[in-house]
Order: sequence, then structure tokens, then C-alpha cells
Amino acid sequence: MTFKDQWRFVRRNMKRSKSRIFMTILATAMGVAFLIVLASVGFGLHTTFIDDIIRDRSVTKIEISGLEKDNDIAPITDEEITELEKVDSMKAVTRQLSLRQTPQFNIEDYSGSVETVVSHFPSELKAGMELKEGDLPEDPYEVVVGPHFIENLYPDDLPVDEEVYDEDGMMKEEFKYEESLIGKEVDMVVEQNVDDETKEHEITLTITGIVEPPARDWMQDRQVYISEDVLTEIESFTETSRGAIIDPNYPDAEEEVTGYDKVYGYANSLEEVQEISEYLTEENYLVYSAASELDYLNTFFTIAKAGLIFIGTIAIIIASIGIYNTMTMAVTERTSDIGIMKAIGAHPKKIKQIFLLESSYIGLIGAFIGTVVAFVISILLNIGLPWIIESAFEQELPEGFQFSSIPPSLILIAAVICLIVTVLSGLKPAKRATQIDVLKAMRREI
Amino acid sequence: MIDVKDINHTFLLGKKQNETALPVLKNISFSVDKGEILAITGKSGSGKSTLLNIIGGFMKPTSGSVWIKELNVTKLNEGEYADFRLDNIGFIFQNFQLIPSMTAFENVELPLVLKGLSVKERKEKTEETLEKVGLSNYHHHYPSELSGGQQQRVSIARTLVIEPPIILADEPTGSLDSETEQEILDLITGLNRDLGITFLMITHDEEVAQIASKQIHIHDGEIVKEEVSA
Repeated sequence: MTFKDQWRFVRRNMKRSKSRIFMTILATAMGVAFLIVLASVGFGLHTTFIDDIIRDRSVTKIEISGLEKDNDIAPITDEEITELEKVDSMKAVTRQLSLRQTPQFNIEDYSGSVETVVSHFPSELKAGMELKEGDLPEDPYEVVVGPHFIENLYPDDLPVDEEVYDEDGMMKEEFKYEESLIGKEVDMVVEQNVDDETKEHEITLTITGIVEPPARDWMQDRQVYISEDVLTEIESFTETSRGAIIDPNYPDAEEEVTGYDKVYGYANSLEEVQEISEYLTEENYLVYSAASELDYLNTFFTIAKAGLIFIGTIAIIIASIGIYNTMTMAVTERTSDIGIMKAIGAHPKKIKQIFLLESSYIGLIGAFIGTVVAFVISILLNIGLPWIIESAFEQELPEGFQFSSIPPSLILIAAVICLIVTVLSGLKPAKRATQIDVLKAMRREI
Repeated sequence: MIDVKDINHTFLLGKKQNETALPVLKNISFSVDKGEILAITGKSGSGKSTLLNIIGGFMKPTSGSVWIKELNVTKLNEGEYADFRLDNIGFIFQNFQLIPSMTAFENVELPLVLKGLSVKERKEKTEETLEKVGLSNYHHHYPSELSGGQQQRVSIARTLVIEPPIILADEPTGSLDSETEQEILDLITGLNRDLGITFLMITHDEEVAQIASKQIHIHDGEIVKEEVSA
């Protein structure tokens, strides 16, 4: 008996009990739709979180904090930087030197103490650093500042008991420096203790640009990015490495410091981060990247999605009771036909195949209809839920927020689960069909 | 063609199936040659139907064996016997056993579908066979739309379509009136004569048994008389 003929039999038999088959398919479709919609929430939130993280360039960032040499940790120097830049898939290697004191910056009637660093701008630009306003410095006494630099500037005439910050911890608008910083001259005041006396040195710098804010709202960049020439001037004033202030309580300040304070490697993709990290670890570099955090997130969501799929599967299992019932009734109704077919010479295996084909067919149609319904629900969820949240809780959801997502893999998983469950539920009735006694089926007297 | 050797069959009756043993066939042995019509006669409850069911593979005997075309068919499992039946044995039943949801054409075509023949081959053979039994104009009729005689013709056509060397008939005229009975008997003798098909028929009707070349009479599960027609 060919597959085509078996298929013809199945369709003929199904036509005989249309309404029952329809209800069974409906139950299966509901089960599949429930599974897909439930799991789609896991998939949607996972996608949203991953997209959110990937948008931030720090995901492709690898922190390189030192090199293990002779059981000691050595700082990264220009020699290692050259090596690191040669590593396969390494997009850029940024490095920063930090000034070992926090200078005061005076601009017109405003002043504030801000952390100061020396950055290598070509590599920063390669890594994705962008300027919000202005240009990069061309002269050694030109600087760029972080986008939140302004938050550290206080009016000189600020009364002592005045509350400067609002309830969110941000500087109140009335105290903020309002003018554009671009092109403004700023006096950087560095200090040094000489013979129990604090001496100051003033360097005038011009702000040429403001760095683009970090991808995250909660991240702040208040730094001033100076040139190596300015650092050299500071060091010649303080006579210490990186402008450290001499303090009898901290004799370390006078020690010579070598190497960069912050070195970051940048990859093009998350996969490359893993690759580069493994390679650098082998080369005895001390590395840390956000990829490990992402791994944790992926594991968490994979477990969550598996859990949701499991709960959804229960719905399909409940629907399978209907399939079992339908198939059992079909076998009972067709007992006589099965008996005749067996008497003529139908192999029990073929009879089993016909019934399994029928239950699989119910499962497949159910899976198809369920998937279509799930897509519609998913679209409605993505449109309706943000609207409900926004109007009921007056809370705006982040841009690109996706509550429900149905990737092809989820459809495949649902279809496979549905097919397995329906075939299993049709297995016993199909086996019963093969065990039908020919003589009893034909109601013969023995 | 068919050798029945020392068939014994006992039904176990009762709750635990071992309280009462009811022997229904006792040391039955006979053979049917190729091209013969053998009629097994006997009263109701004599064991003739049980014997036909054992030969047809619907039951396993308590002891003894059935050899068809030199093959011990009692040793075949259900699936193997199904394949053997499809190629070698046709059945004619007292109450026709047609599938009511199928037309006359589809009922006759069914064995060919089971054999996996192509649509074209099936159509040709089915039409030819329906013509042979005089039902060319009833292709699309359902069993419920046919008379008893016509239904039995469809049943015979379904048997003939696979061209079996052996046909087992269980009271083939039991549900028919005397006029139709003669038509069916003529058809059986014609098929035996023209196609050389071996028939093994059970009947309680002595007149029907007259078409057989050999008769076996069973009483209380034992062969009490064997007759060969002149």
C-alpha cells in the first residue's frame, strides 16, 4: 500500500467525522498557540535584553589589567600595546594614564575638581569614541571633556547652605554652567606640597570638544582628557610621576610609575571577544570582559525559555487527550472495516501506519493553525502591552522593547513537540487497531 | 494444494478459561487438489466454520497443521499470513463483508490498493473483474444500493481481482434467495472451470454442496463421511 493510498484513506476517514476532527484540531491548535505565545515572551525579553547590551560598545570591550611575568603582575607598557594591536580580530587597543591628583578647573565664575586622564585619541576613535560637539585637540594645550564635566562645575558665589542637587541627585538647572564649553578657556590648577607648604601651578587649556555620552543613562563621564605634553608639565611641577602629591603618610606617591593605568581591547563582535580573551589569557594577560556576563544572561534566559516551553507542552499534552479520544473512537467506529481489510490481506503494520498518519495529520494542522494564531497574538501583545503599561502605569517602556518574539526555532520546537505528542497519543489506538480480531470485527459466529 | 493434517481444536470456556474444555475439531485430515471444489458440510455447531477459520489463518489450531502450496501456514505470524493471504487466498463470506463507505469499484479495488499497484493497473483490473461478474454498470453504487446477489458478486469480484489460486467460501449463498443462489453457484463453477481456481466451501445446504467435486461431512468435530462426485 503506497503512502498516497494511505493518505487517501486518512482523508476519507476524516471526512466521515468532520466535527469531531475539527474540535480535536482546535484543541491542538489552542495548545500549540499557548505554548508559542508563552515561550515567545521569554524569547522576546531575551532579544530585548541582548539587543540592549549589544548596543553598548562595552560588550565588545576587554579589560586588560596587566601581564603576569615571573610570578608578578606587570603593568601594560607601549611594548605590550604594540603586541596587543597585532592580535587577530583586535579592532583597537585604547590606553589611558590617570593623573594621580584631582586638579581644580576654573572657568569664568565656576570651578570644580575633576579627574584627569591622558588618552590616546586615535585608538579611542577606532574603538568607537565619538564627539558630541566640537573637534579633537590639535594643539597640546587643547582638551576634550566628558559630557558630564559640566555637572562638576559649581558657581563660585554659591552660598554654603544652598541645596545644589535635585531629588534625582542631579545639579539643579539654576546652578549649572549654561554657556557652551566649546572654545572656552579653562584654568587647570595642580598642587604640590613643598616643605609643608602647598604650592599651586596653573595651566590654561582650551576646550575643543565634548565626548559623546556613554550608551547607558546611568554611566557618567566627567573626565578631562589632556595631552602628554600637559602631563609632562604637571610632572615637572610636582616632580613626581603622574603628578602625585607628596604626603609623608603615603611615601608611595614619590615612586616612579610605569605603564598605562587603563588598557582596553576592542573586538568587532561578541564571538571575537571570547576568542581574543582566550588567546590573551593563554599569553598570561589578565583580562575581563562583559561577554561572561552575557553568558550568564543567556543561560538564565535559556532556562527560562525551557521552563516556559515545558509549561506550554502541558497544554499540548492536555490537547493530546482529545486526540487519543478521537483516535480511539475512530478505531471503534471502523472496527468492521479494519476486520475486512485484515481478512483481505492488509498487513497490521499498514493499518497502524494509517492511524498514526491520521493522528500526525491532526497534530500538523493543529500546529499550523496554532502558529498562525500565536503570531497574531504576539503582534497584538507587542502593540497592546506597551500601550496598556503606558496608560495604566504611566511608565514609558524603553525604545525597541519587544515583549513577544517568535523566532523560527520556536515554531520548529512547537511543531516537533506537537507532532511527538500527537503521534504518541495516537500510538495506543493505532496498536489497538492492529489487534482487532478479524472474526469478532466481522461479527461472525464461531 | 491444501493439506490439512491432524487438526484438533479445543475452546476453553469459563471465567479462567480453563474450567471447561470444549473440543470442536478432532483429528481432521484431508487434502484438496488443484482445481478442485471441496464442500465441507455439516450442521450448525459441527465445527465447519472453525475449520475454515483455521485454514484461512484467522485462528490457530490447538494442534495439527495446515499446508497450503507446500507451506506450513499455521506457523506464520499474523503479518506473514496477511501477506500470504493477499497473494494466494480469496474469501467469499456469507454476509458479503463489503465496506459500506466504499463504492462497488472501490471495494473491488481494495486488495489491489493493499498490494500497492498503480492507479492505472488498478483501474484496468477492477473494471475487467466487475465486468466478469456482470456488474459493469454498478461501479459507483454503494453496497446499500445493491441487492444481496449483486453484493455477493462484488464480494466475489473483490476476491477475483487478485487472481488467487485458492478461494475459501463461507456459506456463499447463505444470505441469498434461491434464484440468486443459483446465479452465484454458476459463477463459482464457471470460475473453477475457466480459471482453474481451487474452491474450499463450507455449507449446510446439501444442494449447494452438489457443485463440489469432493464433499466432506463433519459431525461433532469429526469427519464422518467423504464423497467424491462422479
